[in-house]
Amino acid sequence: MYLRHFIGLLFCLLALVAPAQRRPLPADHPRAIDSTVRQPAIYFPQAPYPGEWRKSLGVVFTTTPPALTEEVRLRVPAVDFNLQRGLTKHFFLVSRLQTQFIQSNLSLGVRWATPLTDRLFLSVGNDVHGWAGVLKLKDVFNSQAVGVQNVPNLSLGYRLTRELQLTVKGEAITDWYYRSQVGSLAIENRNRGFNGLAFTAVLEQPFYGNRHVSLGLRAAYSNFNWQFWSLYDTFDRNLFYPQLIFNFIL
Amino acid sequence: MKTRCYLSTLLLLSLLGCQRDYEAPVPYTFADNPGAGQFTASVRQRMEGVYAVTAGNSQFGEQVAVKWTYGMNGPDTTHYLSVFTGTDVGYFNFEVVKADTMTLTGYWRKLVNTETGRARLSVKTTRNGQVRPYRGQLTEGDTLVLDGAFSEKTAEPSQSLRLAYRRPLNTEPFAILAHRGGGRTSDLLPTSENSLDMIKLASRLGATGIEIDVRYTKDGVPILYHDNTLNLRLIQKNGLKGSIENYTYQQLTTLVRLINGERIPTLEEALETVVSKTPLSFVWLDTKYIGPMDKMQVLQQKFRQRAAQLGRTLQIVIGLPTQNAINSYKALADKSNTPILCELDTAITRSLNAKIWAPRWTLGPQTNQVLAMKAEGRTVFVWTLDEPRFIDEFINQGQFNGILSNYSPAVAYYHYTRQP
Repeated sequence: MYLRHFIGLLFCLLALVAPAQRRPLPADHPRAIDSTVRQPAIYFPQAPYPGEWRKSLGVVFTTTPPALTEEVRLRVPAVDFNLQRGLTKHFFLVSRLQTQFIQSNLSLGVRWATPLTDRLFLSVGNDVHGWAGVLKLKDVFNSQAVGVQNVPNLSLGYRLTRELQLTVKGEAITDWYYRSQVGSLAIENRNRGFNGLAFTAVLEQPFYGNRHVSLGLRAAYSNFNWQFWSLYDTFDRNLFYPQLIFNFIL
Repeated sequence: MKTRCYLSTLLLLSLLGCQRDYEAPVPYTFADNPGAGQFTASVRQRMEGVYAVTAGNSQFGEQVAVKWTYGMNGPDTTHYLSVFTGTDVGYFNFEVVKADTMTLTGYWRKLVNTETGRARLSVKTTRNGQVRPYRGQLTEGDTLVLDGAFSEKTAEPSQSLRLAYRRPLNTEPFAILAHRGGGRTSDLLPTSENSLDMIKLASRLGATGIEIDVRYTKDGVPILYHDNTLNLRLIQKNGLKGSIENYTYQQLTTLVRLINGERIPTLEEALETVVSKTPLSFVWLDTKYIGPMDKMQVLQQKFRQRAAQLGRTLQIVIGLPTQNAINSYKALADKSNTPILCELDTAITRSLNAKIWAPRWTLGPQTNQVLAMKAEGRTVFVWTLDEPRFIDEFINQGQFNGILSNYSPAVAYYHYTRQP
């Protein structure tokens, strides 16, 4: 299955890299791009200046896989808040909170980013995600669960114009810890294992005046998705979780 | 720029167009020959038990539960051996192919994934490390052994499989109730959920009873179907869509086939199948519709009477999952001889005088309430519990009278191997 994704990514990389090999335009050219300039972005793999904060607030819609919710297809929204801080010229800290109030996911990570050309940028990083959910509903739920996942990631960004930036990101999702409880009964899993992959494509650009937005699609192919812990998925197969991302960069 | 746009679009399509279709075809065709050959009743009884897996344990775990079951076809009875493993909701199904040997052939499957393969077993004994064919008698010092091989997918079995008898099965009464007639379509079983073939398969998956979903056609025929609408999750593509209640029974029979090719059965056909073709002892009629309950009640009473005439121990209960269903039940002119199961809280269960209370498993063990209901003479089941480790926890608690699950092989494994 992943072959198709890799072919897709390959196409995209070709699309990005091939034009990037062109000789950079002279600095006084109207379309010239200065790789040291930072455009407002959250996904674009370019470190903020040391000490600089970057933040965004928006929403993520996740579509439920039919194997879990059968005839019901839900697009579940979650509040999405990102906060980043530059450490050095190349290193920066990232954090992200996704919440649906009854269940939330907080990730913390570090990235190393560097420009490859005047338009093409690269970052590698590692995020640790902690998630928790509590459901108490009369005659239906008295359940809670927590988990920890580790997500190494790699991003490639291409500055299409001075203000339009495309980022393609790949993530490997690994499980570190899971605990689930119903009433007084609990089960726990400390086995570390591969959970799945995720691919994200995000455009970041101005949106009415000085405001910038991140608009993207994330396709996760994973065995377990924290947002659906209460469905108690028992399938040992990767399911497809498409996500629509829309954030205002603050 | 255009090229970049096209290629990026290709990327997105490749990402979003990927919904993998999983398959797990059964790698063995059953002959379904009547009888049990040399596996006489006493041999079958002796074979049932908890076995240590001494070869093949990396694939199937350290121990398994071995149990015989059967299917009926008119005067003929066909016997099958099921083996329930504690790994990935695994099971084996075997049949007797050669009546003059103590060998069994069949297949294995793990329900949480798509792993499957063929298998064969012969009954033997061991004494002081020496393996001998089983002659129907065990003397002191002999250990019963099921010796054979298994394979991946359709390959000829060649990997060693050996099961050594450890102890008898747990004989405490416990209802192993299979959801949707035996299992879900999404678990890639060889038959469709809520079909007659699934009901016939249920006991081979470990079930002692089934839950089936009842709806009505436009012309008022009670049928088995789970979802609100005709959709490609459950049926083969035919251009029809919308609520199943919009179609007559004739239209559904003519135009609609379930995902594995079966016809949508009527409730009458389903209950007839339970009574005449299976050893199942419990049927839970889940009311998926809003409306009068009288036709369902008539069939419930008809087949309870039929089972009693045949000397069968068979409970058929009407499940009440919602207030609408309760209202329909209350509207029945005569509620005698109409056993019900209430899925709502204990107060409602008591007010209806339902003999069975069935809370959701996601509420936890609810120890005090369960013990109180049992003290009042009621039976308590939980539904629909599929997570194997929680199945183990609930069974070890020892409070519930049964579990409704899509994974009856897992419930069977944890129940039969439990040491009270």
